[in-house]
Amino acid sequence: MTVDALTPWPDTVEWRSVSPKLITVELIVRWSWTVIVVAGLCVGLVLQGHWLWQLGIALVVLNAIWRSFVTVRAVRAWGYAERDQDLLVRHGLLVRRLSIVPYARMQFVDVTAGPLERAFGLATVQLHTAAAASDAQIPGLPPAEASRLRDRLTTLGEDRAEGL
Amino acid sequence: MTAAGPPQPTLPPEAAVVEPRRRLHPLSPVLHGAKSIAVVVAALSWQTLSQVGLERFALVVAVIAVAVVIFSIFGWLTTGYQVVGRELRISDGVIWRRNRAIPLERLQAVELRRPLLAQLTGLAELRLEVIGGGKTEAPLAYLTVREAAALRQRLLALAGRTQAAAPPTDQPADAAPAAPTLERPLLRVKNRDLVVSQLLTPQAFFLPVGVAFVVLQFVMEGSWTFVGIASTVTAMAGVLLQPVRRVLQDWDFRLARDPEERLVVRYGLLETRSQVVPLNRVQAVGATWPLLWRGQGWLHLRLAVAGYAGEGGGDAKRSDRLLPVGEFDTARSLVWEVLPGVDLAALATSPPPKRARWLNPIALKSIGVGLTPEVLVTRWGLLTREMHLVPYARLQSVRVVQGPLQRMLGLATVYADTARGRSGQAKDRDLAEAYALAAELAVRARQARTNLKTPAQP
Repeated sequence: MTVDALTPWPDTVEWRSVSPKLITVELIVRWSWTVIVVAGLCVGLVLQGHWLWQLGIALVVLNAIWRSFVTVRAVRAWGYAERDQDLLVRHGLLVRRLSIVPYARMQFVDVTAGPLERAFGLATVQLHTAAAASDAQIPGLPPAEASRLRDRLTTLGEDRAEGL
Repeated sequence: MTAAGPPQPTLPPEAAVVEPRRRLHPLSPVLHGAKSIAVVVAALSWQTLSQVGLERFALVVAVIAVAVVIFSIFGWLTTGYQVVGRELRISDGVIWRRNRAIPLERLQAVELRRPLLAQLTGLAELRLEVIGGGKTEAPLAYLTVREAAALRQRLLALAGRTQAAAPPTDQPADAAPAAPTLERPLLRVKNRDLVVSQLLTPQAFFLPVGVAFVVLQFVMEGSWTFVGIASTVTAMAGVLLQPVRRVLQDWDFRLARDPEERLVVRYGLLETRSQVVPLNRVQAVGATWPLLWRGQGWLHLRLAVAGYAGEGGGDAKRSDRLLPVGEFDTARSLVWEVLPGVDLAALATSPPPKRARWLNPIALKSIGVGLTPEVLVTRWGLLTREMHLVPYARLQSVRVVQGPLQRMLGLATVYADTARGRSGQAKDRDLAEAYALAAELAVRARQARTNLKTPAQP
């Protein structure tokens, strides 16, 4: 039996992926930073004119191009699935992570949206349990889906709420 | 400050019984002041003492202490607590007033601490451990011992009550005085064993070397000044602090079960602590076999209780002891008491596959994971062997993580997260096995939770 680290239990679990618009958001963030760093390096180049500055610029740009490809794949790697009793979240390319968080263990749900995310109509849902180590975060959800998920999680959490 | 407040079940019939707001003991400010003297002396250090002279030094310390006492008096005047329904309300703060309502369902453990000065004056500090709090919530310092013990009984009785089967409210009042007589003692650690165990630590082994080094240095330089010696002694004390502290803290360690089957832990020489932990609040149990204790066959056990979070100062300050030192048989019976059905001697673990050797060249054999009907067992460490038991009912979430190297070898690590302490870690398992393990853990955790729930509603 072959197991793919990105899609465990493919036949029983219906994985949902996050919005592809998240790719755009991530790329904008990455390239804005790249532009700022390159601008700084250009100032250095103009003032000093050493070849190391050019090398630096080349490296930064190359890194950004490389990371852009990774970002595309990384966003596609994000996935979540709602099962009867728990929420599954998987993400990561280099380090692959899968979290299984039972609804009953949920302490509270965060829905956040930064300015850029809002501009693209996205939001991030994060589930918190009593364990600090749990990480169940789903970025790049359309607001309607985010609030649906939040409401569903809170209802299920209340249904099954119990002490520690 | 967490916003993790649960939906507050308002209980109108109980909330109607409003009791007066109570104050802490009037001696509290004095004790706070006295406590600050030690801090001030430590902060000023020996160097300052030699520079300003003894009289001035004493004067500065006294002035600061008096200032603290005056400040504490204001603090005392504004601090009050009261039990309302199933909540403990505490208000304090001189400049910034703070009112806290602590829902008692979230109470994890209650500790009664008596530092040396409090012992002399017959006072005690009550510390509540609440889930979700970054630090120990609401240390009530100080109350009289009788008051503190009664309040503790009362809070625990309120906290342990399920909504369905609520006994009459006036019950805790007569339960409090009767409680101590009915306790069933479980174990008592011999002080001799404790001292020997702390001598068998790396720090204690270092002591002769340190002393020789210092003496040698003085002989070479030929100067013996008071400040020099005092500083050296302080430095040595710093090294020896941990074992000495351990001995002082774990002195006369006793464990008992109270009538409600809660665990009562008492220990300490200069500062006595007595801690009551309901057994369903135990998140995990850890066992450690230090290298130097192998000869005696000793181990120590730790208890992970949610809420003992942001307390600084490393492990010496934390109250997580279940057994400071003991033989295997003692530990075995103790684990049976705390996690019923778990036999420390019969915990089989299986090592990861052979190819995990690339990631753990030496210690592969010592890593292992096992599932018993009640707990997840994880084991690791070659020299200092460690074991971690997580009851399924206490699992918060399960994670499978695969790093790049693990991916090349087709391995993955499974984490079983609990509300407190380290997560149970099944390191470097075969990928298919890891997913199977994660699924199995999720199922078992769910079953354990439902099993827990059913007896509560007969």
